[in-house]
Amino acid sequence: MTVRRNIFSYLMVAPALLLVLALGVYPMVDSLRLAMVQYDLMRLDTDGAPFVGFANFRTIFNDPRFLGAFLNTILFALIAVGAVTLLGLLIAQVLNLGFRGRGALRSLVLVPWVIPPVVASAIWMWVFQPERSPINQVLKAMGLIEGNIKFLTDAIHTIGPFSIPMMAVSAVRIWGGLPFVTVMILAGLQSIPQDIYESAEIDGAGAFHKFWYVTIPMLRATLAILVTLLFIGGIGHFEVNYIMTGGGPANLTNILAVMSYQQAFTQYRFDLAAAISSVILVLTSIVAAFYIRDRISHD
Amino acid sequence: MSKSLSRRGFLRLSGMAVAGATLAACGPAGAPTASTSGEGAAPDAAGKQIQYWTMTYADPEPYLEFARGKADQFREESGIEVQTEMINWANAAQTWLLVSQGGAHPDCADMYWLYSFSKLGGGKAGPMPITDYKDLYWPDLEDRFYEAGLQDVYWQGEFYGIPWRGDIRPLLYRVDMLEEAGFSGPPQTWEEITEAARATTKRDGPDTSVWGFELSSAVPVQQFMAYLWQAGGEYMTEDGETATIDTPEMRQSLQFMYDHLWTHETMPLEIMEKGHAPMDMFRAGQVAIVGQVSDSEGLTFDRDFPEMEGQWAFSVPAQGPVNRSSYSGAGYWGVLHGTQLVDECVQYIEFLSRDENMQEITEYIGRVSPNKKVMASPYWSDRPWKVAIVETLEHAHTSQHPSPAWGKLTATEPGAVLYDMYYEALIQQQPFDDVLARAQARAQEEMDKIEI
Amino acid sequence: MISQSLKNAQPRGRVKLTHNSVLQIAMRWLGRIVVALFAVGIVIFVLLPFYWMAKSSFQTNTEIIAIPPTWIPQSLTLEGYQRALTMIPFVRYLTNSMVIATATTVLSALLASSAAYVIARYPFPGATAILAIFLFTQLIPPITRVFPVYFLIKDLNLINTYPGATIAYISFSLPYAVLMLSGYFRNSYPVELEDAALIDGCTLFSVFWRIVLPISLPGIIAIATFTFLGAWNDFLWASLLLYQGQMKTLQVGLRDFIGEFGSFQRANAFMAACVMSTIPALVLFSLGQKNMVQGISAGAVKG
Repeated sequence: MTVRRNIFSYLMVAPALLLVLALGVYPMVDSLRLAMVQYDLMRLDTDGAPFVGFANFRTIFNDPRFLGAFLNTILFALIAVGAVTLLGLLIAQVLNLGFRGRGALRSLVLVPWVIPPVVASAIWMWVFQPERSPINQVLKAMGLIEGNIKFLTDAIHTIGPFSIPMMAVSAVRIWGGLPFVTVMILAGLQSIPQDIYESAEIDGAGAFHKFWYVTIPMLRATLAILVTLLFIGGIGHFEVNYIMTGGGPANLTNILAVMSYQQAFTQYRFDLAAAISSVILVLTSIVAAFYIRDRISHD
Repeated sequence: MSKSLSRRGFLRLSGMAVAGATLAACGPAGAPTASTSGEGAAPDAAGKQIQYWTMTYADPEPYLEFARGKADQFREESGIEVQTEMINWANAAQTWLLVSQGGAHPDCADMYWLYSFSKLGGGKAGPMPITDYKDLYWPDLEDRFYEAGLQDVYWQGEFYGIPWRGDIRPLLYRVDMLEEAGFSGPPQTWEEITEAARATTKRDGPDTSVWGFELSSAVPVQQFMAYLWQAGGEYMTEDGETATIDTPEMRQSLQFMYDHLWTHETMPLEIMEKGHAPMDMFRAGQVAIVGQVSDSEGLTFDRDFPEMEGQWAFSVPAQGPVNRSSYSGAGYWGVLHGTQLVDECVQYIEFLSRDENMQEITEYIGRVSPNKKVMASPYWSDRPWKVAIVETLEHAHTSQHPSPAWGKLTATEPGAVLYDMYYEALIQQQPFDDVLARAQARAQEEMDKIEI
Repeated sequence: MISQSLKNAQPRGRVKLTHNSVLQIAMRWLGRIVVALFAVGIVIFVLLPFYWMAKSSFQTNTEIIAIPPTWIPQSLTLEGYQRALTMIPFVRYLTNSMVIATATTVLSALLASSAAYVIARYPFPGATAILAIFLFTQLIPPITRVFPVYFLIKDLNLINTYPGATIAYISFSLPYAVLMLSGYFRNSYPVELEDAALIDGCTLFSVFWRIVLPISLPGIIAIATFTFLGAWNDFLWASLLLYQGQMKTLQVGLRDFIGEFGSFQRANAFMAACVMSTIPALVLFSLGQKNMVQGISAGAVKG
């Protein structure tokens, strides 16, 4: 019986496993292998692809832009994940309140989902164009600012690694992630039985206490996997930063994935790009390890 | 037996699913084989078939129709079928890179960046020389075409195809703004540019509502090149072996641009950032003079912004310390490695390169042609801007450089040698000496790495 | 555990408020206003780019680039839409996207459900390893896989074909789908149902096909929506694997509007095309969003 079940299981898993191995694992491993060889498209015909050990890593660590990109990658991930989770929680709470028009509100929150990152970045670039920005127009009309804010190109007003372009690009990343997070948290909220809240209310718990001591603990499992996935995605993120600023101005919005892409497709250095991807892999593996450890201690 | 049923049931299901997907492919998509690799599709009864790729010009879909029309004419004449496909500019770099690495490719195409893609292809993929065909099909090549255009189709002594579209960059300016500031005509020298720019720049509190001078309508790095040439400088020696970046001419051109950014404040600091759109700014009244503008803008003005008629004009680029160099690029029709149908491809290129066809093409897309007869035709003299373009052709300076590393050096992204150099010097205000020394060393390193 | 958190919920030294105290009522109204302001802020944030895109699609190009920007189109025109439909083969691109996204979604849902089901219900040797492999593939950004995937599809002669892109999309969507669904299948129905069916003589496969799948449909549909959106919105793989005119998907086709120097040739046509391209997904959403939330809450989220 067990043998039969196992055979059945293997058959059921086989197609999916095969596809993922062929188009997921093999390309990943192949591209990581490039981190240890010299793979310069301009020298392939003369040099081939000789093994070079850690030379590629030394090269990228010495690149003056690497440190900034590394730091920014983590900062962007923290800001985007933190903000989108917080906003998602608040929005989901509001949606769960049960008021007229909440169906419409819920549909509206999903709108960023139907606009793909490539298109969204292009549109947001228009919105952030200083002279043509509705945001600047409104702020000026309210008298809050005198000159136009240069959302994507201001390299002057910075506090450490934080800058206006970083905030603007983060806003777009948060905007894009909001539907997914809100839906997930909303689903989690709706699976919390109402009687727990009722008992809490009887004991005199106010809104904040209900939120902090009932909602959050009950959402724990949901939040754990959500934040994990968001972090992994956030660390490896590419599109928005690349399309909106290309990593500029002055390296302020540069992240590892953008740097990797530039090394590969404009400098033809697939080896350096692979080395940078390996650094991304290390970061995301740390996040994944945390999650797995958390799962094990909770199962 | 229940055991075999369960397995069979599932297999049946997956089989149906795969069949369904395949049917979906075969249905509305048409025969998949016709559009895959370019090893020349199977010859049909009427004759051979070649795959031809073109870039996108004017409006995409109508242009494709036009290109296919040409292919139809060719078929009537020769019996050879040409399947035309269009590549858009946003994906072009990626597509051609894949081609050079052995990816799916056509038999012949509208191509560019001959040197870099040749090197990347390593002689096995990418552009293929057709030197043997040159004398047979184009005996009077040097007479018919401008030298600058021909420079872009030779590499290492080999001939690669016919240059067909030029990319020349005249100066663009607001006639009304300059008049208002007291100038009767376009600036003729660098000093006049500075004067006119200072006079036309307008502030609005902490913002600037009009910028006197923009360098170019082109992407980063490309926007700077002509100014080095106008100062008499070059990026490398003619043999492509030595970088000539750390030179007095480079310093002079850098200083000119630096002053506009920081001393006169007539140029926005965003000139190298993504999203910077000088032509949008010009058309919205934010810019008075643009030093080097793509010739394609002429047709765009006529077609899409007729209400600006009389407000704008082209002129020959202003005289720098040494000359009036204008950036000049070209696309060419060429053949690719891996094709089995070289004869047929060359025939198609010959067809396209006939004077009457080149004339038709130029009139359709409004771009200059390296064909002398075409540029002498009435079409190129019926509007003032066209006259200015023809004048500018005399100052063309090719953008192709002999080292295959050129493509890398001039990439429009951070990390590329020239991008970093210009950014550090002009935007980040680092001392020229340090910046140029670094850039010279890096450029030389890149050029040395590559064996030609 | 619940009583524990309830014990913690009791505030220390709390003030006893009478049932109808003015302060309480004021606090409640203040709270409502704050919530309302917050909701309005979110709506503005979420809709701003969409509104900007939509209003630009009805303007002339001159008006779009004018300074200061106009919020309401003065030169109301359909020129953008007309041009969008003639400049690119919009319907053709839309069809391609539709076919590929649908095929991907259906097949991916089938394959992912099959795999997730056995991993969740019949722990067999290697099940955890397989989950680990699936998780592993999510750890580095997709752009690193570009060349290997491209050449693999090319060697199968599937470049510029529907099956080529579909296979790629399916394999990219599987890891996430299987990870989510395996948690889901663990919680979505009682095991007894299965045992009863087996005792009645059903094959292992028909237990899956006839009993488990129908019950689990809400969650599967929820995950399938993610898959559909992933395939529909994707640009990177579509631009690699389907770059020829007739086969391009919508997202790649939208880039046809970008000219040689990176700027939009006809901004209003581009905006119009973007608006039109969001309509199918919007329709899908308004039909399915309630199911989606339900499906996820039924247990898909536990991970």
